[in-house]
Amino acid sequence: MAATRQRVHADDLADSIGLGSEELAMRKRFLEFDDDDVQRLEGMYGLTHEHVDAVIEAFYEHLLSFPETTSFFRDPRLLEHVKGRQKNYFIRLTQGDYDHDYVTDRLRLGSIHERIGLPVRSFLGMYAFYLRQIAALLVQEHPGDPEHAFQKFHSLTKLLFFDIGLGVDMYIHQRERTIAVQQDAIRELSTPVLTIRDRLLVLPIIGILDTSRAQQLTEELLRSIRESRAQVVILDVTGVPAVDSAVANHLLQTVEASRLMGAQVIVTGLSASVAQALVTLGVDLTKLNAVGDLQGGIEVANGIMRYQVVAIDDTIPEVVDAGPDPEAG
Amino acid sequence: MSRTPVDDVCVAIRSDADVVAARSLGRSLAEQHGFGTTDVTMIATAISELARNILKYAHEGEIVVETVERGSMSGVSVVARDDGPGIPDVGLALQDGFSTANSLGLGLPGTRRLMDEFEIVSAPGSGTVITAIKWRR
Repeated sequence: MAATRQRVHADDLADSIGLGSEELAMRKRFLEFDDDDVQRLEGMYGLTHEHVDAVIEAFYEHLLSFPETTSFFRDPRLLEHVKGRQKNYFIRLTQGDYDHDYVTDRLRLGSIHERIGLPVRSFLGMYAFYLRQIAALLVQEHPGDPEHAFQKFHSLTKLLFFDIGLGVDMYIHQRERTIAVQQDAIRELSTPVLTIRDRLLVLPIIGILDTSRAQQLTEELLRSIRESRAQVVILDVTGVPAVDSAVANHLLQTVEASRLMGAQVIVTGLSASVAQALVTLGVDLTKLNAVGDLQGGIEVANGIMRYQVVAIDDTIPEVVDAGPDPEAG
Repeated sequence: MSRTPVDDVCVAIRSDADVVAARSLGRSLAEQHGFGTTDVTMIATAISELARNILKYAHEGEIVVETVERGSMSGVSVVARDDGPGIPDVGLALQDGFSTANSLGLGLPGTRRLMDEFEIVSAPGSGTVITAIKWRR
């Protein structure tokens, strides 16, 4: 049962990184890996089986002589476990049937290496080590017949490059997934709608405004406008590094939608050069109520909402008041 | 011919993130080449428009930004290249407000205004190459 479940999961793994049977067949063609290679590799089963323990022991001795990799295998039980896996890996090279199950096995191995943070150079070094060891064994096995030994070595090289391709793909895939998750997290964090005061909202936009983010931002803003019955909204674009016609279009649509919800929008923080570029581009900004900076925007909002900010005058003690501005209309 | 530390930038355009990368690389190249803030922003905006057009119509392509010299003039050229459907009517595409996608329709005419020179080579089915140059004043 567990095996079946694992199989299903593994299938997802190959498919999820776009390695269908067509793609795999194409990779083998590209490496000129054919039935003769399969036959030769299968013919080497006896050799790998006989020497697997010695090769793997030598490999870990080599690996652990580098302080950088020693840190991955401090736990002796973990070390035994990974040695066992490496033995399976090594023998599997000569067991034929290099199709789907073989591929998912290799992908799983790559994903484990990526997860424990093994550097790609160590991962590649492992393949180089196996190639050297097997080359030596083949020369021993075929004394006086270097051509035969070389052919076998050739087939193994192709298969190992096939494996390297899968391993590296897995590394890249995992990193890309991490990046995608982080991007989503940043997106979630980067659209705070702030209430400055009753019915006055500020939306500071930081970073790149692409279509999906603009949509999310507009939705969030409209929801906040409804919830807080906002009268004025300040969209501060100081943190938007570039405004092109697409971004301007998003801004204009957000302004229009907010207007339909009964809120006035003030855009602040357009830099002089961005403003000039937008005018040259030909964007019609007449619908945009723009004010230089956020401070100016709040002052304009105060005007619209009939608020006045008054400095506390210490010479008149009665004015000290923690409540709302008594001047508010 | 004066050489700046970065002389050309080539960015494959396949996603919104690539648009950002092309724009910021082009921006730093223009800054290094001695353009003022306003011109740098115009060049960056032009790159942005051209890159977004690639995504919108051809889905993928590339942007090459490099420094150019002609006689005593020195500037930056932006080349946008794709193997997309091409532009059937270049004249129409250069009119303000004309768009086959749902946008402001300012990409091409706007970019022409942002830059000093502007050239489109395109035909239906054979992709599009747009070259735009901004000279340093």
